[in-house]
This record gives sequence, structure tokens and C-alpha cells, in this order.
Amino acid sequence: MKPVQIDFTLNGKPVKVLARPNQTLLDLLHNDLRLTGTKKGCDRGDCGACTVQINGRAVNACLVLAPQVAGQKVTTIEGIGSYEKLHPVQQAFMDLDAIQCGYCIPGMIMCAKALLEENPNPTTEEIRTYISGNLCRCTGYLHQIEAVRQAAARMKNSNPGSQDSCKSLALIGSTAKELYMLGLTSS
Amino acid sequence: MREFEYTRPNDLDEALGLLGSLRERAKIIAGGTDLVPLMRENLVTPSHVIDISNLRDLDFIKEEKGLIRIGAATRMRTIEQSPIVKAKIPMLAETAQLVGEIGVRNIATIGGNLVNASPAADSAPPLLSLDASVKIRKLKTDRTIKLQEFFVHVKKTVLQPDELMTEVQIPIPPPKSGGAFIRLAKRGGNIISIVSVAAFLALKGNACSLARIAMGSVAPTPIRIPDAERVLEGAEPTEERIRTAAEKALGNIKPISDVRASAEYRKETSKILVRRALEEALERARSGS
Amino acid sequence: MKTFNSIGKRTPRLFSEGLVTGKEQFSADISLPHMLHGRILRSPHPHAKIINIDTSEAEKAGAICITYKDIPLVKFNPRLVSTPETTYKDWTVLSGEPVYCGEPIAAVAAETEEKAQKCLELIKVDYEMLGAVFDASLAIDPKSSAVHQKILLDKKELTVENNIACKLEFSEGDVEKGYKEADVVIERRYKTNKRYHTQLETKSAVCKPEPNGGVTVWSTTQTIHNSRILIHQVFGIPMHKINIKKVALGGSFGSSIHTNISTLIAVALALKAGSPVKISLTREEDMRDHSSFQMIFRIKAGAKKDGAFTAGELEMLMDIGAHQIQAYALLGTVFGWWASFYRWRNLRYVGRAVYTNKVPSCAMRGYGNPQTSWVVETFMDELAESLGMDPLDLKLKNYIGLGETFFGQGPTVKSVIRSCGVEEMLKKGAEMIGWKNRHAPSTDKGFLKRGIGLSRGFHTSSAGAPISSAIVDFSGATVKINQDGTVDVVTALMDNGGGTMQALAKIVAEELGVPLQNVGIVQADAQTTIYDVCTHASRGIYAGGGAALKAARQAKEKLLQYAAKILDVNPDALKISPDEALGQGVIYVDALPGRQITVGEVAEHARNKNWGTIAATESYRPTMGPPHFTAFFVEVEVDTETGIVRPLRVVAGADVGTVVNPDLAAGQIYGGFAMGWGMTMFEDMPYDKETGDLMSWGMLTDYKLPTAYDAPPVEDFKVFFTDTYEPTGPWGAKGLGEGSYNPVTGAIANAVYNATGVRFYELPMTPEKIQAALNPRKTPEVVVAEAA
Repeated sequence: MKPVQIDFTLNGKPVKVLARPNQTLLDLLHNDLRLTGTKKGCDRGDCGACTVQINGRAVNACLVLAPQVAGQKVTTIEGIGSYEKLHPVQQAFMDLDAIQCGYCIPGMIMCAKALLEENPNPTTEEIRTYISGNLCRCTGYLHQIEAVRQAAARMKNSNPGSQDSCKSLALIGSTAKELYMLGLTSS
Repeated sequence: MREFEYTRPNDLDEALGLLGSLRERAKIIAGGTDLVPLMRENLVTPSHVIDISNLRDLDFIKEEKGLIRIGAATRMRTIEQSPIVKAKIPMLAETAQLVGEIGVRNIATIGGNLVNASPAADSAPPLLSLDASVKIRKLKTDRTIKLQEFFVHVKKTVLQPDELMTEVQIPIPPPKSGGAFIRLAKRGGNIISIVSVAAFLALKGNACSLARIAMGSVAPTPIRIPDAERVLEGAEPTEERIRTAAEKALGNIKPISDVRASAEYRKETSKILVRRALEEALERARSGS
Repeated sequence: MKTFNSIGKRTPRLFSEGLVTGKEQFSADISLPHMLHGRILRSPHPHAKIINIDTSEAEKAGAICITYKDIPLVKFNPRLVSTPETTYKDWTVLSGEPVYCGEPIAAVAAETEEKAQKCLELIKVDYEMLGAVFDASLAIDPKSSAVHQKILLDKKELTVENNIACKLEFSEGDVEKGYKEADVVIERRYKTNKRYHTQLETKSAVCKPEPNGGVTVWSTTQTIHNSRILIHQVFGIPMHKINIKKVALGGSFGSSIHTNISTLIAVALALKAGSPVKISLTREEDMRDHSSFQMIFRIKAGAKKDGAFTAGELEMLMDIGAHQIQAYALLGTVFGWWASFYRWRNLRYVGRAVYTNKVPSCAMRGYGNPQTSWVVETFMDELAESLGMDPLDLKLKNYIGLGETFFGQGPTVKSVIRSCGVEEMLKKGAEMIGWKNRHAPSTDKGFLKRGIGLSRGFHTSSAGAPISSAIVDFSGATVKINQDGTVDVVTALMDNGGGTMQALAKIVAEELGVPLQNVGIVQADAQTTIYDVCTHASRGIYAGGGAALKAARQAKEKLLQYAAKILDVNPDALKISPDEALGQGVIYVDALPGRQITVGEVAEHARNKNWGTIAATESYRPTMGPPHFTAFFVEVEVDTETGIVRPLRVVAGADVGTVVNPDLAAGQIYGGFAMGWGMTMFEDMPYDKETGDLMSWGMLTDYKLPTAYDAPPVEDFKVFFTDTYEPTGPWGAKGLGEGSYNPVTGAIANAVYNATGVRFYELPMTPEKIQAALNPRKTPEVVVAEAA
């Protein structure tokens, strides 16, 4: 079997890889390229943990044969944000406690990023539907949907410190002795 | 995954040439959403993989001579968002959204969904109800057949080893027509349908000039439901007739019991879904242009 | 009234930069030089004896191979939370007589996963098929085939009879007398599903053999210390040569309280190969690796007209699959949950654990409490109905609350309840959902029917108790202060995703009076930490945090002694507060504004003067496992034609004492609801009796979880916390990890009843079952064949 030369753009940089064609993009990223941020959850397109962007579109990397990315632009979780400044979606997930064990998070973030690049003003319904392929067993999704809304608001305002939608997670009081309610209002 | 030779042909003729010589030894890959998991488990072990996912020749949506033509390698996501599809055959756009999660729809193709020929293929019932045809090519010749004739059995079609489906053709629906697709599953999102129904009605005056109903997951292939259609063809689609049509549908289906549902439940809900799909199709036909 | 610096405050999720950037490594992400990949050969039969196994072809092809003949024939239980006297052992690392479809019988390691798989397929095995049983009720019949003949209890050999793995009985008082005094006596039977944890990260392990004959292991585990002890028990390697590293865990929900077999297989392969070996299960393998306990219940109770209970009885048969992991302890905790819900007054409990030839069961979030809560709370709904009482009032009249004894995790783990927000939560929640306006069952016209249901829940915060019991439960931590005023917290406690490390940081920061960002949790390992039993039983904050607090207090004492020396002040007069501008904790005296020094300056001074490190190491055994309480009010809409149900509104109240991480706590509730929705409506692991394998083939395609699409609208999910303080908890805190999940199924089931007037006694309540119950099928017409 001939290994195949795969020339593509990975996280903005041109890459030439000589690799076995009989593996998925997910395995190519993990094993050959040592980019372990994209996670394997089921290896058959049922969970979304391996979501990457190909030409900007959200794609399950476990369903793509490695050589199919030749000539395409692939973006993984390692390629967004920077050491100094996280991407607004990453920041929003952190700020809104939308992370528990973290395993689904790279896929969820890449999916949300793809959504916001296509549709900068998604409704809650659109967000829910868009990320419905990303399974999360920990969070119950509500904080994650809010995080995407928050990221959308910030990306529009280009004001990364904006706490506007954050306040909608209204905490009345912050001590043990006060009753508080987390009532989320649409913003 | 077993080893294979990978080729990415530059155009359709090259792809057909390869397929023509390799025949059973090769598998076509477009989106890969059905094929790749099967290959990973070595349930399918081609010695050659021919990648058509980037062939411009097969990725298009056009309106031409009373037909909407969709290239076989057109992504579900493209169909979902296509202005032509949303305007002329909105039912198909709605269905395309249900075919899988976004990470699947961005690469899954309509050709792949049909050629895989699962009895639950969601794009099939809407296309059947729209009286779609498919164009099949091999190197020297081509043929166009009705989609109904395309499916043979579970995961089997009439495609020969040297043939490739190149496009789907849908007659543009007349004015005062409407279609609806409903599927039943234990929850929303990315899931294989328990039962699915597509209903398409065209009105002339008060009566149905066209009545087509198609279903998935109730037989070895996606099927039309002639017994139900006959109740409505040429007749006024009253509430009672719609109910009767839904009852009659049971005569055409042969659902099985499997890990997802029992045959009994499929029968019971088929009635409900056919009725609801017809009601929605009628409402759209009445309000449609 | 105490105002905290960081506890209870919203803070961005700490320690999550690695998670959002994808840089945090989970077990399967780890790569070492010369690492081989392992693959496991699994039995295709539910019960068979291996007559012959031939690995010669695989070895010729270049793989390292092991079979049951190559591993130490030590019988063990992979979970070491119970004391040895109550530990039942029936596992070996690889089996020569597999007892379920999917049981590991051999393994290979090769340079790539692809090569390993190819070599695996070259192994030839001859099996002699043996009888198999898939139903717990049938398995106890003497005529059924035996899953195991002999097992060990501690070091004693036991003969298994009628597939009963273990049993437990408990009584208090006289139930028969109680029934005689009752005005109403009801008895019901229930059957739950067998669920799969579906933690997003499949079980993985990397094992590196060390030159000294020891091993270093990175694995999916909730307990690095118990894994270390088990590897020592099985392989005989001295413990000081075994190291287990803490590594991020992609969710667990109880599936790694025990050491996963894949870890032991990786160790065995690495020792034989002399090279590091990585094993990462596919999802299909993972679903055949662990599951939850299916339970069959018979519950009975007697009540007087005024609603006071006179007697209660629970009989429970549980299907534990093919091996014991937590069966015996679970028999006790199910008793504990049932006995702690309400004052039954006279009690009788019989619990039996039964082997079947299916995927072994282990704890799953709630450890019997989701099943028990569903049974008790739907049963209570029926009791209330027959008494003509509002279920809310019946609960308020009988719930076990403040000052009363709580059985918690079983008959040997008792506490007195010192904080309880049940009444507040039920009353407030009722108001928020509109409980008073609830209609009678099945009132809505049309095919869409709505209903509201309520269920209470609770769980312990750890398995602490005033005496030692059959459960090991203690933690430990080291806190040390660095020369720049930052703090290292070294603990073996794992974070399963619930924000435990963040809570620990807050607890320590609060005690030491330093800014939260100055506290770091060290990525430690078994060699450098003192013992922590496990992150389970919702004990992360309560017990793990308790240990960190204890160590922080000791460190603080030393810190203040040194500061007092430097400032020439009485140490008792010193206070510490974080100064955000300085970015340091500042030690000061109230009345003397000039006498102050930063934490960092003290530590630096102590270094320069050779006084020593300011640090402390402490173990901590919680003397109780105080319950955290929850209540879910759920409104659903049922499509009575198709049986599909949607959640409309949820009001959830929680009593967790002091809320350390408010948003994470709410997140636990949202997550608990989603998990509960799946448990109630569609999760199950049915078996094909012909093949003895899962009907889903281990694929998520046919084991569905709720998605974002199924969550109720965010505006319609209200969470609130009661005004309570747990005196025994760190800063008044209790846990929440399981109480956030336990009551959900009961609430949904009661809501479906309120909507449709139909009760279900089996889980899951699939649309198919609901549709069938609401639309009774006509009997099929008898077709008479026409004479030819």
C-alpha cells in the first residue's frame, strides 16, 4: 500500500504529510500530527467530540478519510485563540462555567465557532439545533447554550470584557445565608 | 482499517473510467459518513477507494427545464440552505436538516444517502413523494430511472459495480402544492428514524390533482403508499378522507421489530404520522403559490 | 453573618484553560517514546470455556501476546472501597472461562493500533460453549446455569448457590404489627433499566515499565491510590515502585471507582513487552466494559388516615451482570436510601444480588439512589392518592429531617442530620411551579396532555461516619506556601468534572486569606500524595475539601507563628485578608495599622532565616456523611398519539449548605436533569438472547443520550438554593454530584401520570410503552383461511 502525500492547510499553516491513507482525519491528527485536542468519543459520528472545521464548516473528523483533506483548510482547537488571548468562544465557556469534565469541550467549541462564523446572530433555538450533535453527559447543555449566546454578543461588540449577558445569570447575593435564584432571562 | 489504494479523480470521466476497470474492488467515497465507520470495522474492505467528494461536476443545484437537478455529491447542508430548494421544494430542505448532526451534514451527500439504501434513509421518502428520478452513469452510457425503481432491498440498489449515481432530478411542483416530512424517533437530533412519512399534495380546485405518500423504516426499502394515495387522488382531501388514507396505509407496510421499536408500534404510529403529514401538506398546498 | 472572599462567588472556571485549548491531556492523549499499542481479544460468547488458545501466529507477526495463562491467577475485586472482610472477589485480569460477551481473554501489543488489530485477529481460540442466563428473576432458579461456581470473600472460598452473589437483610421493629395498625396498605412492584454511563472518554491506560521493576501508570481512574494498591495485589510489585499519575478524566459517573480492567491489561502487556503500552477502548468495547445495576423492587407500606406511616418493607433483587464490583455495598446503600427517605416506623429489608451473563455492573451516579428514589417517590404519589392527600403534604409529614438519624450509605454509615432545607425547598418550589394549580390526572383535552410531577431526593456527602464501617472513607492533603505567597495544594483527590479542584482552591484560599488565583492544585501522583479513597459518593467538596481545609488550618497556624515572630505580635491577634491590588494575602493586626506583612514576605523570610517550609499534611475522616437534599418539580407534555414526551418547565431546589461554586452547582443540576431524562425515557441495554450480546452492538447509534435539543428552554429551568449551613462541612458546604440526579426520574414519572393518568412500573418509559398504555391495542383479528 502506498502512503499518500497529503498537502493541506492546518491551523493556517501549510502542511505536507506522508501518511497511510487507511486512517481517519481524527487518527491522523492524533497519531501522526500529535494534535490531541480533538477527541475520540465514538469514532462513528454519533457524538461530535471530534468536531473540527474543514473550510470553515463543522465536520466530524472521525468520518473523514485522512487523504480527503488534501487541498483543504483544516482548523482544530489548537488553532484558535492564542496564548495571550483566547477566542471569544473559549473565553465564554470558561466565564459561564460551561465546562465540567471537559472532554466534549473542544468539539463543542469548534462547532460553536463554526456556527457563529456562519450566523453571527443565532437564536437560542438555532444554537440548540446546531450543537445538538455534540453530546455532553455532564452539563445538561444550558450553560453551554448561554456561553454561545455570550460569545455571539461579545464577537458583535468586539468587547471581550462585556459582562452584559453574564448578568442575566442573575445571582442575588453571594453568601450562604441568602437565597438565590438562577433565573436565566433572554437577552 | 485494511489497506487500500486511494485515488482522487480530477473529473467525472476519470472517476467513471476507474470504476469501470476496478468494479467490485473499489468503493466510492463522497461524505464517507456511512462508509468510513464500516471500513474502520473492516465490514467493508475495498482494495481501492475513489474519492469524488470534491468533484465539481457532481456538486450542484440547478433549476432547468421544469426540473430541479441536484448533483449526487451535493452536501445535505447545501441542500438545507439552498435558496432554490427552500423556495421550490421546501420539504427537502427541512428533511436535509434532520439527516444527522451538523458535523455529518456538512459532508454527507444526497447521493450517499440514497446509494447506501438504508430502509430508514431520510431523504428517500421526500424524494419519492416528489416523484424524483436518478441519473446513473457508466463510462460510455447513462440511464435515468425513477427513484422507486432504484431501491431493491435493504442496502441494495440497482447500481451495477461500474455505475455511479450522478444526480437526482425532481420535477418542479405545480402551484398550489405542498409537502411535509415527519419522522418519529425517541428523541430529536441525530438518530435513526423509527418511522418516517413524506406526503405531497397538489390541488386543482378543491380536489387533489396529485397525492403521493412515501414512507421509510416500514419495509426493506423506502416505499410509496399507493393504497393511501388512491383515497385522495382526484378527490377532495377532507378530514375523513385523510383519516381513511392513513388507515389504508397499513396495507402497504411491513414493519419489523428491532432494537429501536416493535412492529406493532411502527404500525400504530404510521397511521398517526401519515395523517399528520397529509394535514401539514394540505395546509401548505392551500397557502402555497 | 460571614461574607466570603471567593466561596459562593461566581468565578470563571478555574484550571480550565487546558480544557478549552485542547492542551489538557487525557489518558488516551498521552504518548511516550517506544510506546506500543494494545488491543484486547474479547469473548464472543456469553459463557464458554477456552479449550485451546494459540497466539503463535500473532507472535510471529511481531506482536507481544498475553492470555489468561500469562497473568497472575489472583482473584480480586477491582474496587477497593469496601474493607477486605466485605470484599467479594471473582475477577482475574484475563479469563480462561469468560462469563459474558465482551470479557477480555487475551491481549496483544504492537507498534501501531492497526498492526495490533491485525495480530489480534491471528489468535485462534477453541471454545466449549456453556449455558448462559440473562434475566435475574430466572437466574435464581436452581435449574438455571451457574455463572460462577466458586468465588472468594476476602481470603475465604465460597460456593455460589442459585447465582446469588451476596445478600443482605435488615429489620427494625415489627412490620406485620405496623400493617395491622394501618388504615391503608399498598404494595407495588417495579423494574428498572440497565444503563450505561456513557462517559465521553472511553476507558484508557498507558503503562510504562520502569527500570527498577516497577510501573508508572496514567489511566482513567477516580482513585489513584486504590489503583496502586490493586496493581500491587495482582502483580506483586512493591507499592513504592508503583506510581499512578493524576490525569484529566473525561467524565466517569462511577465507572472508574474501580480500577478498569484495561488498566491491568496494560500493566501486564507493558511488563511482558518491557516497553510502554497504551490501551484505549473503542466505544463498542467500552459499552461492554461496565454498566449500571438493574433492580427489581417490591415495596410495601402501611399508613394511617392522617398520613403517618406505620410500616415499610422493601425487597430488592438486583442484576449485577457477570462479576461483582460493588454489589455487596450496594445492597446496604439501597437499604440506606429507602430507610432515610421517610419515617416508615417499622422496617424490613431484603436485598439480593444476582449474577447473569451480561456486562458487569458497577456504581453509576447515585449508587442505587436514582432507582430507589424513582420507586419511593412514585409509590408515595400512589399512597397520597389512596389517602386523599396532596403528595407534598404527605412528604412534609413523614420526611426524615433535622435532628433525625440518616442511614446514608448503608446500615453501618449513620449520621444525625445537622442541616436540612427540605421544607423550605418544597414550599418554595411548589410556589414557583404553581403546584396548587395542578389539575387532576389526565384533564387536558386533545392529544397533547400536560402534567406536573414532584420528587424529592438526597444523597450523602461522602460515606463518613463516627465509627469505622465496611466502607473506607478518608482523604488527605498537603498545603504548602511558596516564597512568593502562592500556595500549592497537593491531593490525590480526582476531579471527575464537578469542579472539585476549583472548590478545593476556594476552600484553601478562604482559610489562608489569599487571593484565589494564588492557589494552585498540583498535578500530583500516588507517590507524592497521601491516601484519598476516591472521588465518589459526592464527597469531593465535603471530604476532600475537608482534608484540604484541615491542612490549610495547620499551615496557617505555622504561618501566623512565623509572622508573629517577625512582627513581634501575639499570634492570636493576627488576621489574614486577600489584597487584590497587591495580589497577596496580607497578615495584619486590627488595632495596629503599621504592623503588617504579606504572606509571601513571611515565607521568603522563613527561607532566608532557615526556619523551614510553611506546610502541613493532614488526613481527614469525615465523621458523618451529611445528606444534601434536592427536589425537582417537572412539567411535561405528552403526545398521546405517539407517546413522545417533552420537558416544558423545571424548578429544582437544592440544599447544599454553603454554595461554594454557584454556577457549577447549577450545572450539576442541569446535567442531572439531562441524565435523568435519558434514564427515564430511552436508555436501556437490552440483550439478544440468541447471541448473548448487546442488541445495540455497543454503538451510541442505538444507545441514545439527551442532546441540547432535548433540554428544556433555558428560561424555563429555575434553580434555587436553600438558606442552610452544614456545621460539619468545610465553610458549611455539602456535596451535590448525585442529589442533582437521583430524583429526576421520579419527578418525570409523576408528571407523566399527572398528564395521562397512567403509571409505569418499568423503565425506560419509552414513547412506545406510553403509546401502548394510552391506546390499548385491539386484539388481532383471527383470520380464517379460506378452503382451497
